[in-house]
Amino acid sequence: MARTNEIEKMLPLPLAAFHMLLELADGERHGYALKRAIALRTDGKLKLGSGALYGSIDKLLLLGLIEESEERPDPHLDDERRRYYRITSLGRRAAEAEARRLRDLVVLAEAQLGRRPKLA
Amino acid sequence: MRRAMRVYGWLLKLYPARFREEYEPALERQFQDEYRDVTSPGEAVRLWSGALWDLATSVPRQIFSEMTMDIRQGMRAYQRRSFSMTLAVIALALAIGASTGIFSVMNALLLRSLPFARPERLVELWLSPVNAFAGRTGFNSWWQHSAYLNEATTFSTSEMNLAANQEAWRVKGTESSANFFHVLGVDAIAGRTFAHDEEITGHNSVAVIGYGLWQQLFGGDPAAIGKTVHVNGQQFTVIGVMPANFNYPGKTQVWMPTIFDFEIIPHRGAFLIETIGRLRNEGAFRQAQEMFKAEALRKNPKAYDGNEAQNWPKLVSLQNQLAGPVRQQSWVLAGMALLVLLTACANVAQLVLSRATERSQELAVRAALGASRARLLQQLITEAVLLTTVSTVLGLGLAQWICRLATSIVPPELATQEYTIFDWRVFGFAAGLAILAGVVFGLSSAHLTARLQPAANSLRTQRAAPDAGLKRARAVLIVIQAAITLCLVTSSFALGHAFLKLLGTDLGFRTGNVVTLNVSLQGTTHSGKGEWAYYSNVLSRLRAMPEVEAASAVSYLPLANQIYMANSFKLDSGQSVARVVTNAVMPDYFGVMGTDFLSGHDFEQASGKDADQRVIVNETFARLSGLGRAIVGRHVLSPWRDASYVVEGVAKTARLNGPDNQGGPQIYFYIGEETPPVLTLVAKVRGDAAVGLAKCRDAVRGIDPQVPIYDVKTMDERLDDVLARPRFYVGATALLSLMTGLLAMVGIYGTTSYALEQRRREMGIRMAVGATPRRLRGMMIWESAQPLLVGVAGGMALAIFAGRFLEDLLVTVARPGFGTCLGGGAVLVGVGLLAAWQATSLVRRIDPMEALRSD
Repeated sequence: MARTNEIEKMLPLPLAAFHMLLELADGERHGYALKRAIALRTDGKLKLGSGALYGSIDKLLLLGLIEESEERPDPHLDDERRRYYRITSLGRRAAEAEARRLRDLVVLAEAQLGRRPKLA
Repeated sequence: MRRAMRVYGWLLKLYPARFREEYEPALERQFQDEYRDVTSPGEAVRLWSGALWDLATSVPRQIFSEMTMDIRQGMRAYQRRSFSMTLAVIALALAIGASTGIFSVMNALLLRSLPFARPERLVELWLSPVNAFAGRTGFNSWWQHSAYLNEATTFSTSEMNLAANQEAWRVKGTESSANFFHVLGVDAIAGRTFAHDEEITGHNSVAVIGYGLWQQLFGGDPAAIGKTVHVNGQQFTVIGVMPANFNYPGKTQVWMPTIFDFEIIPHRGAFLIETIGRLRNEGAFRQAQEMFKAEALRKNPKAYDGNEAQNWPKLVSLQNQLAGPVRQQSWVLAGMALLVLLTACANVAQLVLSRATERSQELAVRAALGASRARLLQQLITEAVLLTTVSTVLGLGLAQWICRLATSIVPPELATQEYTIFDWRVFGFAAGLAILAGVVFGLSSAHLTARLQPAANSLRTQRAAPDAGLKRARAVLIVIQAAITLCLVTSSFALGHAFLKLLGTDLGFRTGNVVTLNVSLQGTTHSGKGEWAYYSNVLSRLRAMPEVEAASAVSYLPLANQIYMANSFKLDSGQSVARVVTNAVMPDYFGVMGTDFLSGHDFEQASGKDADQRVIVNETFARLSGLGRAIVGRHVLSPWRDASYVVEGVAKTARLNGPDNQGGPQIYFYIGEETPPVLTLVAKVRGDAAVGLAKCRDAVRGIDPQVPIYDVKTMDERLDDVLARPRFYVGATALLSLMTGLLAMVGIYGTTSYALEQRRREMGIRMAVGATPRRLRGMMIWESAQPLLVGVAGGMALAIFAGRFLEDLLVTVARPGFGTCLGGGAVLVGVGLLAAWQATSLVRRIDPMEALRSD
């Protein structure tokens, strides 16, 4: 229960943070990969600068929504300066809660506007 | 690629310490990846602009975020030592407040620019070699051919009766050459300023009014242009309105063009014609001064002979001239405030030393957990800046109060010089002080912390060993505080002593129960032949009042801050007396003012029998004439006409400008039927002077409401006004010295009690081997007394050196001598030892066993 309250307090998640959690839900990523994946997923609409990206990562780490991964790729393929991140169970639940919140919002908007928005 | 990486690496240094340490390598790596993908110069530009935009938005966010974290942590750390922190904040707030307040005044007078175009090129010419008396053509031709002046103008300011909309006011009016506004480079906000030929008689019935008067008379209506006003009874057409911040010279509200032929507004009595000019070249001020001096000498080879230096021709910058009356005093007070600031900083430094020792353990733990030196440094600086910022915010309140006080005591010459903290320079100064002090404290704290934990084993040691360097640093701080305190205390004592002497000075007249009112008949129905009848009527009315014991009138009232007319007078003995202040009085003036006669008597007894052919001189005149009291009955020749006056009596010398000014030679003429249009009515009243003053004012107004009555004050109020400035300086010095004294005591107490705490174990050992608490306490007190004595010695030298500046605050002050310093030093040592004695009271409670166990 206390955990649910904790998650409620975090909502709404910033858009960048939400996308990062969604991306990390697929698996571990390093910062640059995360940035590229988000840009790809949003058709280039959300292009995070490096400072903004690591600012968000820092916040998510502090909130315990993501953590740094100890596992690293083959040293031949890796650069030790890269940092790898993965989603925590709290992060996963926060992302789910945010998705629910957004869905409720869409339902509310449809009821209020009296029609379903046209899907592309 | 390498160069791009290097530049990006530098830019990353903008991030705060924690973020940088955490993500700098990752950010670099990411930029490297992105840069590798760049295929064209266009893409490189896009990458760089994106990176710069990202830095511009994310750096402030990260700084804010880390600062918030550090502030929270700092607050928690401060809460643990709330008492000493509160003391430190108060000390710093007082010191920063005093410094900022005085800076605000200096900013207004010396730094803020004047409401003139290129004010740095404007100069005032004292005793100009050519002035308005050379006539319009002579004056204009002089500056047109001048090698150093581009243009010059003359003006004269006096109080005038202004009537409009059937009401009359007494206002400051300036008559000037037509190019007055052109020289200053200011323009009207409505209408226009004077045209070139509007100074010529016949064209000069035009006036420019000030913004305040425009609001007051016409409610700010632009249709005021073309309306008429009456100045001293003469009609003028308003042609322009000046901006709100323009009231030069001396709070002028109405300006009129003239060639100083006094045809429109006649002048009687003393008045001053001033000359200002605009230099040809901005940087050539010194050169212009030399050229001016050479010209003055050419016109009058004796210009710089004999006279006192203050009467020599001089070319001064207008900005300095306008700041003149309080410029030097501001510097002296600023010096004092700086000393207080130093003392407060020394106190905070003491605190930093204590905290550094206390926190060395905490910081060592954080370092062991991975916090870098930069991160800890950032934390310590943020905490220190937090302390100084809170102090500065509180100090700004004090600063604004000081500004208000200064405004009431020494009002600035111009509206634009208003003393206030709401100016970017003042805020910059205060913020600069806060940041500088914060960074210095933070760095010193970090430095000391580093000294206290030099080795990796610092975590294992229970307590850092007492550091000899720290002990020395504490002693040096006490030396500084003691020296500054002694300097300020002796200065304050010297000023206080001089001020008390000033209060006890015999003014040559009494101020108690004497009330004064100024009336001006200029432009009223009484001017001319009706003046005598009006004054006779007013005086009879006043004398008939039950509250009034006696009433009279005078041309130049003492303590009224007036320009006096001075002349040389010859006696029938052939002796001549120079620079005699010439005054005119009605019968019983000396009785009302309580001025004693040393010889002879007042006009009253001579009236009816040629009183207007008699004069009264003062004691100084009698002495300078070489005749002394035997001057009574001798003849004084008129400097204006072929007539002589019999000396009727010798009155005590009146100190016209207040107790700190020696009254010079004075001569009093009898006001007969040729009455001056402006007079001050004086009355000695029974009972409460304020009530008497109000009744007298009502009685005078009852005779003719159209006659402006102004500057209505009791003589006690006038004396208060005159003493306000020295009182402020004495009060400010006393307050500053009290503050430093308190700070020094807190410093000594804190150092001694801290030293005791640090040496608890040593004390325990000493007690265990037989030392008595009394002996130990004596030892501790002696150790505290040593830096105090060194500080007192330094302070004596400082006080004697600084004594010369006290004369700028109060002319009559005697510089603090060796005796005063010694007395002050003894008091300081006594109080300091008392603080140390109190701080060491815990020695008695030390239990040797417990002290040994505690480590």
